[in-house]
Amino acid sequence: MSERGTDRGAWVLVTRREFWVRLRDRGFLISTAITVTVLSVFILANAAVGDRRPQFRLAVAGVEGRAIGERAVAVAGIGGVDLTLVPVETDARAQEIVREGLADGAVLAGELVTRTKPPSQFEAVVQEALRRDLVRARLGAHGITPSQIDDALDAQPPPPRSLVADPQDQPQREINSSVALVAVILLYGQLFGYGVWVASGVVEEKSTRVVEVLLGAIRARHLMAGKVIGIGLLGLLQLTFIGGTAVTISLLAGSLKVPGEAIWTVFVALAWFAMGFAFYASLFAVAGSLVSRMEELQNAIVPLNLLILGSFFVSIAAANDPTSPIARIASIVPFSAALAMPPRIALGAATIPEVALSVGLLVGATAVAIPLAGRLYAGAILRIGARVKLRDAWRASR
Amino acid sequence: MLELIDLARSFDGTVALDGVSFSVARGRIVGFVGRNGAGKTTAMRVALGVLEADRGEVWWKGRPADAAARRRFGYMPEERGLYPKMRVHEQLVYFARLHGLSKRRANERAREVVEALGVADRAKDRVEALSLGNQQRVQLAAALVHRPELLVLDEPFSGLDPVGADALAEILRTEAARGVPVVFSSHQLELVERLCDEVVLIDEGRIVAKGSIADLRNSRRRRLFRLEVTTTDPSWWEELPGVELERSLPGGGVILELAEAFDPQRLLDVARSMGDVTHFSDVQPTLAELFREVVRA
Repeated sequence: MSERGTDRGAWVLVTRREFWVRLRDRGFLISTAITVTVLSVFILANAAVGDRRPQFRLAVAGVEGRAIGERAVAVAGIGGVDLTLVPVETDARAQEIVREGLADGAVLAGELVTRTKPPSQFEAVVQEALRRDLVRARLGAHGITPSQIDDALDAQPPPPRSLVADPQDQPQREINSSVALVAVILLYGQLFGYGVWVASGVVEEKSTRVVEVLLGAIRARHLMAGKVIGIGLLGLLQLTFIGGTAVTISLLAGSLKVPGEAIWTVFVALAWFAMGFAFYASLFAVAGSLVSRMEELQNAIVPLNLLILGSFFVSIAAANDPTSPIARIASIVPFSAALAMPPRIALGAATIPEVALSVGLLVGATAVAIPLAGRLYAGAILRIGARVKLRDAWRASR
Repeated sequence: MLELIDLARSFDGTVALDGVSFSVARGRIVGFVGRNGAGKTTAMRVALGVLEADRGEVWWKGRPADAAARRRFGYMPEERGLYPKMRVHEQLVYFARLHGLSKRRANERAREVVEALGVADRAKDRVEALSLGNQQRVQLAAALVHRPELLVLDEPFSGLDPVGADALAEILRTEAARGVPVVFSSHQLELVERLCDEVVLIDEGRIVAKGSIADLRNSRRRRLFRLEVTTTDPSWWEELPGVELERSLPGGGVILELAEAFDPQRLLDVARSMGDVTHFSDVQPTLAELFREVVRA
């Protein structure tokens, strides 16, 4: 007797196959490992650089020299510079140490002595300490008490105030341009890589002719949808894994004090990948359906390739200058929104109406693109041989 | 019963199907015969729902065939195709599930069908690692794995050696005996003749003849007889009115066509008067001959 069919949608089976076959693919596992490794090295290198305050050594001779040195250390503390004192017996020994490069400089008779031209931060700190000594001596001659002098010397103007708010300058933000840039690069790689995967998956089914066997059991549009969703879910999973690893390593390396912001950035990137992929993937499926051999695929995806590459370059600019007009436009146009909007959101430069407009346009464009792509795909998928023209694919389907 | 009703389809102005109608009844094996480009593949694709018709309908069990009905059809396209990197069992389970079987049942059926087709020992191999013959078997397995209610096979015998062809013929007979309507296209007409209950001849998108092979023979207008006579006169029949030479046979015999009124026994009498008759028979045209005749007409 014949078998009764279950009601489960056939596209779910396609989705599952696409997901699992690719997840087990050795190339996929290797490329994921490489991405995570490169990103980890980048984060750790960044953490190491970010933690290092400028460090200098100052040779001081005798008790008097040491007193000056300690006042210089206090000044250095205000300037965010680490100054270490190297006490020696005599001025001659201090000069020797400076010549040998064991110290960055020495204070000899109220004068900073260095081997060659000193680093500017070091010079500024020591000169300020020496200047304060001179001021103390002169004011003391006028009968002003040391505590009054110190009080006057410690007076500080208020910090500078910007008239135009620049989110990048907000000191509490940990998501800076370089993090936004990494996000753009990852999103670009993900969007393009997974798009090509969809296209080559379509060509594979066409070139091996398995597609007609499949179409005996499932409608062309469902086959396309299953493939796009399966590969898209894998892309999301990989991006989540990469983002999660990046946040975890940053936390462990101590370069992240506010994990909420980093997690938010990862979440924003995931959401925009999902939307951008939904838009582009069906177009990649169409590109794949037009050709019958892998060698022809490169040509078929050129227009999509250029569109994504152009968006990528604009988005790099957006990561550097998220409030520029081009960044604003690129983050709203559907073709580039998925790459240009995430860095603007992460940097706090996008307004809520802008995000709403961008999401609305992208979702709307996707809603238009998917049925068109489905029709073109269905019209082209059975035509083996020469490259199918879009017009012919459109006519062949109904 | 599968019914194709007045199917029409054209591609960019080229007519592929032009009012094609025929049916395949329960348990019948129907051969679908025609020249290259006659419209066989298009008709089969339309029957399967792989392609949509411009006009006409496909009915299954007395109702228009919907997606649910078509999921229970079995199809083997002319362009063979499998996922080369997928393992045989895994692949068959996938196809079975696409056709609506449960996971458990799909696994059972995948095992049964590789057993039946003699590729059980290769079930764990990737398809690309199999010989061409075994790939063909797996391809057939993919068409049979979900126990289809109807089999539509496009050139299933092409590329098979005689042993493989016999095995496939046996499988088709078994499926038909189970009540499955089977329709397949082929250029191997002697095979069609041997295996099929009915044939459908298509030419330039139109059905030019259909029915049992006996019916097709009976419908032919020509009366042909084969004669071998030991005589010194090579053209002894020439004086007989209503007798024409169809062709001479390499062994020395002839095939003669008789007019409607000419009694074959009279021909035999004349032949015996000429010499010893070593062969006299009514010539049944082969399917190939019928086909040529119909297509020429």
